[in-house]
Amino acid sequence: MVAPEGLTESLTAFMLDASRQQPAPFSPRITWLRDYYFQGASRRWNNEFTCWSTGAPWDVQFNEMTYYIVPETYPLLQALRGSFRQAARNVPLDEGFWQWSLPERRAWFVKEVMVNRVPQEILPGDLLAGARFNLQTSLCLTATEQKEFDELLLGKRGARRLVKWFHDHGYGNAGATSGHIIPDHQRVLTLGWRGIHEEIAQRYNELTVFEKEGERGAQLRAMLIAASLPRELAFRYATLCEELAAGEDWPRQTELLTMANNLRRIADEPPRDFWEALQALWLNHMLVMSDENYPGPGVSFGRIDQYLLPYWRASINAGMEREFGKEILRCFWMHCNTAYDAMIRNGNQGITAGFGQLLTLSGLGRDGRDATNELTYVFLEVIAEMYPILEPKPNVRIHRNSPAELMDKIVEMTLAAQGAPFILNFDERSLAGMLLQAQKAQLEKLITEESVYDYAPVGCLENTMVGNDRSGTVDNNINLYKAVELALTGGYDLHPFTDPITGKTEKVRRDGPATGAAESFTTFEDFFRAYEQQTAYIISKCVEVQNASESLRARFFPTPYLSCLIRGCATKALDVTRGGAEINFTTMEAVTYATTVDSLLAIRYLVFVKKLCSLPALVLALRANWCGYEKLRAQAVNKAPKYGRDDDGADALAKRVMEVWCAETWKHQTTPTKRQFRPGMLSWNYWAGDGFVLPASPDGRARGQFLSNAICPVNGADLNGPTANANSVGKVLGGKTTNGVANFAGFVNCLPNGASHTMTFNPSLLGQQGHKEKFKAFLRGYAENGGSALQINILDPAMLKEAQKHPEDYRHLLVRITGYNAYFVTVGKELQDEVIQRLSHREV
Amino acid sequence: MIAEKKGLLLEIQRFSTDDGPGIRTTVFMKGCPLACRWCHNPESISPLPQVQWLGVGCLLCGECVAVCRHEAIAIEARRVVIKRASCAGCGECADNCPSAALKISGSWWGVEELSYELQKDRAYFLTSGGGVTVSGGEAGIQHEFVARLLAHLAKQGIHTAIDTSGHCSETALAALVAHARLVLFDLKMRDTAKHRMFVGQGNERILNNARFLANKAAQSAGDLTLWIRSPIIPGATDDEENIRALGAFIATELEGIPQRWELCAFNNLCRDKYGRLGLQWEYHDTELVPQSKMESLAAVARSSGVDPAIVFWSGPVAQK
Repeated sequence: MVAPEGLTESLTAFMLDASRQQPAPFSPRITWLRDYYFQGASRRWNNEFTCWSTGAPWDVQFNEMTYYIVPETYPLLQALRGSFRQAARNVPLDEGFWQWSLPERRAWFVKEVMVNRVPQEILPGDLLAGARFNLQTSLCLTATEQKEFDELLLGKRGARRLVKWFHDHGYGNAGATSGHIIPDHQRVLTLGWRGIHEEIAQRYNELTVFEKEGERGAQLRAMLIAASLPRELAFRYATLCEELAAGEDWPRQTELLTMANNLRRIADEPPRDFWEALQALWLNHMLVMSDENYPGPGVSFGRIDQYLLPYWRASINAGMEREFGKEILRCFWMHCNTAYDAMIRNGNQGITAGFGQLLTLSGLGRDGRDATNELTYVFLEVIAEMYPILEPKPNVRIHRNSPAELMDKIVEMTLAAQGAPFILNFDERSLAGMLLQAQKAQLEKLITEESVYDYAPVGCLENTMVGNDRSGTVDNNINLYKAVELALTGGYDLHPFTDPITGKTEKVRRDGPATGAAESFTTFEDFFRAYEQQTAYIISKCVEVQNASESLRARFFPTPYLSCLIRGCATKALDVTRGGAEINFTTMEAVTYATTVDSLLAIRYLVFVKKLCSLPALVLALRANWCGYEKLRAQAVNKAPKYGRDDDGADALAKRVMEVWCAETWKHQTTPTKRQFRPGMLSWNYWAGDGFVLPASPDGRARGQFLSNAICPVNGADLNGPTANANSVGKVLGGKTTNGVANFAGFVNCLPNGASHTMTFNPSLLGQQGHKEKFKAFLRGYAENGGSALQINILDPAMLKEAQKHPEDYRHLLVRITGYNAYFVTVGKELQDEVIQRLSHREV
Repeated sequence: MIAEKKGLLLEIQRFSTDDGPGIRTTVFMKGCPLACRWCHNPESISPLPQVQWLGVGCLLCGECVAVCRHEAIAIEARRVVIKRASCAGCGECADNCPSAALKISGSWWGVEELSYELQKDRAYFLTSGGGVTVSGGEAGIQHEFVARLLAHLAKQGIHTAIDTSGHCSETALAALVAHARLVLFDLKMRDTAKHRMFVGQGNERILNNARFLANKAAQSAGDLTLWIRSPIIPGATDDEENIRALGAFIATELEGIPQRWELCAFNNLCRDKYGRLGLQWEYHDTELVPQSKMESLAAVARSSGVDPAIVFWSGPVAQK
C-alpha cells in the first residue's frame, strides 16, 4: 500500500518547472495527471488487467461472451483465454470456498482480490481514491461446472460457433454483454453502504428456511459479501491516505487527511458534501467494472447533475470554492479514463476506444419542467476544459423548453470544439419511446408519466430507466440488409463463405425460408412479402444466438456487487444477470437500415416501376459486384429514390421497413431469462466492418463500401440538406400523432432504445454570430421534427480533403462561402482548395 | 376549370441562412430581364429549362445522344456537348442519363404542390423566425405565379420574402409584395449610364420601384420590411463614390425606411457554371475582394447618411 514509486518527486519537479512556464490552463495538479495519462503505455503506473485464479487446474478467468459483439476479437478469443490464464496469480482460498454457491464464491473472490491482492495506490495530487480496478478474475467454477460451461461455450453447437457463423454469414452479431447499465447511484449515496447492507440482510431474514438453503438465499448471501466490498476497500484507501500524508507538507497533507476522512465516512455512512459524494460515487462505479471484469463500456452515471446537486449545494454553502469543486471533478474525469488501461499494451486505448461511461445532464424533471441547474453548467465547463478526452462521455438532454442559456452554451461548445463534445438527447422523442416500451411490456407501473422523466442513456445514447433497468442495449446487432439478400435468392447466401484463416469455402445451403427464386416475383408487393419473411427469419436467428450466451451468463456469471446497485435484485433475490432488475429488456439494434431501405427502393424503381432490368438480372449484377453493370449501378445510385431527402414516397417505404422489423422484434423474449426484445438503432463500428462481409446491394453499393450507420441516410444520399435529413428521421420514428398510440406530447418513437443520428456541418456555415442563432434554432427545430439523439460533426479541413478524394460520400456537405451555401463537392477543385485553405487558417 | 399556370423553378434550397431572417427555404425562379456581367447564377437567366452537362460520373454511355429528338447532343472528345441552337430543353436526355452527369435546370410546379414542399420545414421556420424567400432569376417575371404562391403560404402562416432585382413593372411588384412580409431589394449602382453598361439596362425603373416599395413599407405599419442588398463587384460597383451615392439615395429618397443594407462581396463560386453552359465569364480570373476593402466600404456606407446600424457586409473575402 504505497504510492507508485518516484511519482511524487516528478510532480514536485514539474511544479517547480511549471512556475517558469506560461500559465497553464489547468492547475499543476491536473496538468500533471493529464500529461501523465497521455504518456500511455510508457507510464510506470497503469490500470491494466490483473488476472487472478482459484489455482484449480481447470480454472478460466475470461468471460469471452461479453466480447461476442466485437467481431474483431473472434480470432483472439482462444489466445486471450489462454494468456489471461497464464498471467493469473493464485489466490489462497477460504477453506469453505468450494462448498459455497457460485454467487458466493464469486463475491468472495472479487472482494478478496480487490481488498487484499490488488495494490491500492494514489497518484500524486489526486483528490479521489480508487485507482486499479481492471480485473480478470476466476469464473470460480468447480471442475464439473467448468466442463459443462466449456461444452456449451465451445462445443459443436456452442455459443462461440453460433456467433461466429452468424457474423461470417453477414447477419450481424449477438452476445450477453456486460456494462450498459445505470446503477442506482442516488439510492446508494442516500442510504450509504450500511443502509444497503441492512436492506439486503433484512430481505435475507424474510426468507423461509427452505429459501435460505436454495438459490435465493445464496444470492442474497453473495450480495451481503459484495456489499461489504466498498466498505473494506474505502478503509484500505483511508489508511493509505494517512500513511502518505505523514510524508507530505501542507497543503497536500491536508488534502490527503481530508480524503482519509471522506473515505472513513463513506465506507458506512451516506456522504454529506460534494467531495465525499464524488469519492463514494467513484468507488461505487469502479467496482462495477471490477465485478463484471469489464472496463467501462456503458457503465453509466445517469443524471449526475441532478443527484449530486444537494451535495454540491451543501459544499458551496459550507464555503467550498467553486473552482475547487471543479478540481475534484477534473480528477474524476481522469479516473474515468483509466478504464482504457485494461489492455494498454495493445495500444494507448486498449482494444477499443468504444467505451462509454456516460453522464447525463439537464433534461425535463419530474414536474415536467426543465431541470437544468448550476451544477449542469459546472459540468459543461469541465467538459469544455477537459476536451478532447475520451471519458466520461457526456449526453445533454434537451427539450422544447430548454433554457436559452443552456442552448447558447451547447452551440458555443459545439463550435469551439469543431465537433460536439457531447451527444444531444431529445426528451420529447425519447420519452415517447420509453412510454411505448412500458405499454408493450406491461411496465406501466414502473415507467409512469412521472418516473419516465428520469430516463438516461447508457453506452452511446441508448435510453434506459435509471437504477432498475438492464436493457442489454448492445446485445443484438442485426444487419437488416441480410433479409434483402435472402429474399433475392430464396434463402441462400449470395456468395459462399470462405474462412480467411483456413481458406476453406463452405458449400452454400439454404438457411432462410424458401421464399422463391428472383424470377418468381411479378410485383414489388410479392417481393416485399418475401423480404418480410426473411426479416422474421434473421431476427429469430439472432434471438437464438443471443439465447446461447444469455443462458450461459445467467448460469455461470453472477455479478453480485452490481446486483446490490440495481433495484429489484434484492427484492427478487435474483442476480442482475438472471433478470433480477425490475426492468429487463434486451435490445435489437438494427444496422444497415438506410442501405436496406434504399435497396428496396432501388428494386422497386429499377425492376417494377421503370423496368430497367429484371430481378434475376439485378441479382447477377450483385453477384458480379456490379462489374459489367456500370449503367445499372449508376441508375441505382442516381435515379432510384432514397431515404433521407424528406421525400414522402421514399420515406413511406422506409416507415414500412421500420414497422416490419420492429413488429418482429417485439415478438421475442430471451428463453433463459424472459427478457423482452425491444428495437433500437445503434451501429457502433459495424456499418464499416460489415461492409466487407455483406455483398453488393441494389442501392448501388459495392462490397467493401460502408453500410449505412444507425438511422442515418446512406452516406451522401441526403441531398436536400440537414432539415430534410432530420425530417426523414423523425418521420420513420413515427412523427407526431393525435390518435391513441403511446406518445409523449404528441411525439411518437417506435425505437424506445433511441437511434443514433449523426449530422455533419462545416464550421464556416455556423461561424458567424447570426448563424449561431440559426444553428440554435435548427436544434430547436430538430427537437420538433427529428430523432431521439443527435451527434454533430463539424468538419475540419482534413475531412474536406477527404471529400475531394471521395466526393460520392460527401454530396451532402454544405459549405458556407458566405453569401450563399454550396455543396462542397459541386464547386470546382480550385475553389475547394481555397475553402480548405481558408479554414486551415481560421480559428473557429 | 382552367388549370392554373405553373411556375418554372430553377431550384429549391432548404436550410438557407443568407436570404432573410431565420432558417429559410429559398425558391429560385427561372428567367431574368437583366444581364449583369458578373451574374452568379447564369443558369437562372433564361426563362426556359436548360440542360447542363456536369460531367460528374458520366459513363459516356451515349444514352443521351440516342434519346435526343432534336439532334442537339453529341459526344466529342470524351465530353458531352450540347448544341444550344437546336436544344429544345425538353430534358429527355437528363431523364435518361443513368448518372448525375446531365442536369436539367428548370422544372414546372403548381402552387399547391410547391406550397406543400415548402412547408416541410415549418418547424424550423417557427423556431428560427424564418420562412420562405422567393428569389431568382427575377421573381417579377413570373409575378402572377409568385403572387399566388405567396398568398397561399401567407395564409398558412408562413413568413414570406421576395428577393428582387427591382427590374419589373410596378404592377408586377405590387402583386409580389401584396403577400410578402419582407423584400430584399438589389441596388447595384446609382449611376444610370454605368448601370446600363454593366447590367444591360438603365436603373430608372429600379430606383422608382425602390421608392414605391419604401412608400409601401412606410404605410404598412410594420407589415412590410425593406432590406437593401448591394453587390460589391471589382471594377464595377466597388468604388466609394457609388456606395456614397447609394447611401444618399437610401437616406434621402427612401427616407431611411430600409432596415438593413448589406454589402455583398463578389464571389466566384459560379466559375464552373459558365463553362457548363458553354459561356465565357469575364470575371473568371477576378480575385475576391480583400476584407479590408469590404470594411472600408462598409465604413463609407455608414457615413453616407443612412443609420449606421443598418449597414452590414457579407461574403467571401480574400484572406491576406
